[in-house]
Amino acid sequence: MLEVRNLSKRFDKVQAVDGVSFKVNPGEIAVLLGPNGAGKSTTIKCIAGLLRFEGQILISNKGNKEIEAKRVFGYIPETPALYENLTVWEHLEFIARAYGLKDWEDRAKCLLARFDMDDKKDKLGKELSKGMRQKLSICCALLINPRMVMFDEPMIGLDPKAIKELKSVFIELKDAGCAVLISTHIIDSIDEVWDKVLIMNKGKIVLVKTRSELEQSGESLERIFFEVTESRKEGEA
Amino acid sequence: MNALLFVIRKNLKNIVKSTFRKPLALIGYIIVILFIISIIVYSFAMPSGIVRASSPELFRGIMILVFAFFYYTSLKLGIEKGSSYFRMADVNLAFTAPLKPNQILLYGFINQLGGILILVFIALCQMPNLKNNFIMEPYGAAVLILAVVAYTLSYPLISMIIYSWTSVKKERKVLVKRIFDGAAILVALIFVMDLARTRNFSKSLIDVFGSPVAVYFPVIGWTGSIASSAVEGFDTAFYVGTAGMLTLITGLSMLLYNMNHDYYEDVLEATEYAEQVIKAKREGKNAYVIQKTRKNVHGSVSGQGARALFSKSMLEQRKASSVLFFDRMSVSVVLTAIILKLVMPSETKDFSLLTVLCISVYMLLLIQSQARWAEELEKPFVFLIPASPYQKLFYATLADHLKNMLDGALLFILCGIFFREDAMSVVMSILSYTAFGAVFIYAEVLTRRIFGNIHSRRLMLFVKIIFSLVLLLPGIIAAAIVGALIGTQFMIIGALGAWAFILAVTLFIFSGAIFNNIEASS
Repeated sequence: MLEVRNLSKRFDKVQAVDGVSFKVNPGEIAVLLGPNGAGKSTTIKCIAGLLRFEGQILISNKGNKEIEAKRVFGYIPETPALYENLTVWEHLEFIARAYGLKDWEDRAKCLLARFDMDDKKDKLGKELSKGMRQKLSICCALLINPRMVMFDEPMIGLDPKAIKELKSVFIELKDAGCAVLISTHIIDSIDEVWDKVLIMNKGKIVLVKTRSELEQSGESLERIFFEVTESRKEGEA
Repeated sequence: MNALLFVIRKNLKNIVKSTFRKPLALIGYIIVILFIISIIVYSFAMPSGIVRASSPELFRGIMILVFAFFYYTSLKLGIEKGSSYFRMADVNLAFTAPLKPNQILLYGFINQLGGILILVFIALCQMPNLKNNFIMEPYGAAVLILAVVAYTLSYPLISMIIYSWTSVKKERKVLVKRIFDGAAILVALIFVMDLARTRNFSKSLIDVFGSPVAVYFPVIGWTGSIASSAVEGFDTAFYVGTAGMLTLITGLSMLLYNMNHDYYEDVLEATEYAEQVIKAKREGKNAYVIQKTRKNVHGSVSGQGARALFSKSMLEQRKASSVLFFDRMSVSVVLTAIILKLVMPSETKDFSLLTVLCISVYMLLLIQSQARWAEELEKPFVFLIPASPYQKLFYATLADHLKNMLDGALLFILCGIFFREDAMSVVMSILSYTAFGAVFIYAEVLTRRIFGNIHSRRLMLFVKIIFSLVLLLPGIIAAAIVGALIGTQFMIIGALGAWAFILAVTLFIFSGAIFNNIEASS
């Protein structure tokens, strides 16, 4: 599971993330929503261990920069950058070596087949289209059987079949007890799968709600999103 | 480390394999390798001091000046952007993997070694010129390579250390930038004051950059001293320089390897920037164009129809440089003029402007990797504007012609002053330089019109260069005949310029309809 405690990140004079705390439990799909510049990407980069920060980030009760935490954590970045001169299969082999995986080949084949990539095994990273790169990036993250996985705008560039497949992957990960964090702008794309919503605005978490809480109130996710992000703007004006 | 070595191994293997899959590229690479080998052999074998034997002190001064310039520019850029050994693939896949950060750093360091080869090649290309002007030691080429290797290994390490210290607070960044700029201004002032005293450029160069303070100055002096032993021989400065650089590189590597376990953030921005530079280079653009945009420049796009393309280019130019069209190419042009003044053999004094024209046109052909107009192909607007293709081509390339004219004016006015040439020859040289620039631009347009968007930019440039050379050859022969018959520099430059102008107009006419034929790049 993922636990973020009082996370803050400042770039020079800009407070990008300001005292953010939240938790994603095992078997839970949390969605991080927010307008542009809300601090979602910075939060995600902090969790992925790419930025220094104030506060504490725990993955399976270990600091996110510790080797043990990285071993169980999968990350799909918004822009999938791959090794240009490594083939699809070699990317998976690299991940297997880097994470010390055993008997990974069958799982790798299954993942490639699932995302219609089984005939692209020998294609180089630079030969793949944006959608294919995104699919390979997803396969790399899922190969490690993560206990916590983070998707940054995962639907962008994917074809309808891959989107459908990815949604069922979310459910399978949840059923397997994995903590899933999805950052996105497109509310519709995750409407069927989320358990908890975290709405960010101006570096802070302005709303945390579970699906059952929202269902009880009878509001839609889209409406509540605009309510909490727009009302703040109006309040400031 | 096993996984990271796997990436390096597979990377190399796949590069070789994919080269073998493209016979045309393979032939190209074989030619390039043979060319490099012949340059290496020639660099070692050719006799020294053929044209003249300049003093070893001057060589030392030039080397320290060159490395001072290299370190100043690369470290300043390092303060702004950090320096990175990594690509975004490493950030996304390796940084997030359960691998030790110091192992990843070592992997990045190994990757960096590939970049050395390019700089070594560029250094070796200078050998014939250096050997013509200086009496070099038999091991001259080897120590020059050693100096280049020392520079390539040290500056990213220094950049990374400075960046990690300055990235915490903006004040630190400003302070370090001021120290760098202050030091540069101080050195320039000392040089100008010395020049005022000696009235001799070479002597001042030796006085300032060959002084004991400069020779033993950490990093710059050390690297320069390694290089200058190519002419000076193995003296104390060489041993001090080698020991100093060895200690520095080892020390900084160990410092980063052992102490800084949290450098990912420091290299993240630099890696994103490096990725942009690689993308720009791959598209054949000048990598420096993505460096800065001056946000405080406002203006409107004037002109109707195709003319709007030109005024848009001018607005972009104003945003890109504080003085219109003055960029790194212009700086290179000014440096070229100064270097030519220093190294031009006295035997060529009757044809000094002609020599400068030939060298600068050759440089223009190689350096002008892609003119500004080609960037228009990446956007849809140029295809959509309701104007004739000739108008669109003319206005899309007009800014490039003006840029060439400005660089030409800078170069030839300076050289005119240095070599005491008459004004008419200077003006004719500027016009000829601009006409040659136009030939290269329209040769590229025609190449694209004939071949479409060639997949490999490098191949496109290669075709353009060959095409331009073949077209220019008759004019060069004609100019040589004019030279032999009349023997005045003005007439030869005029003949060359006239040929280039006729050629540029012809190429423009033939390539005019490009926007009706070519497809958008993206």
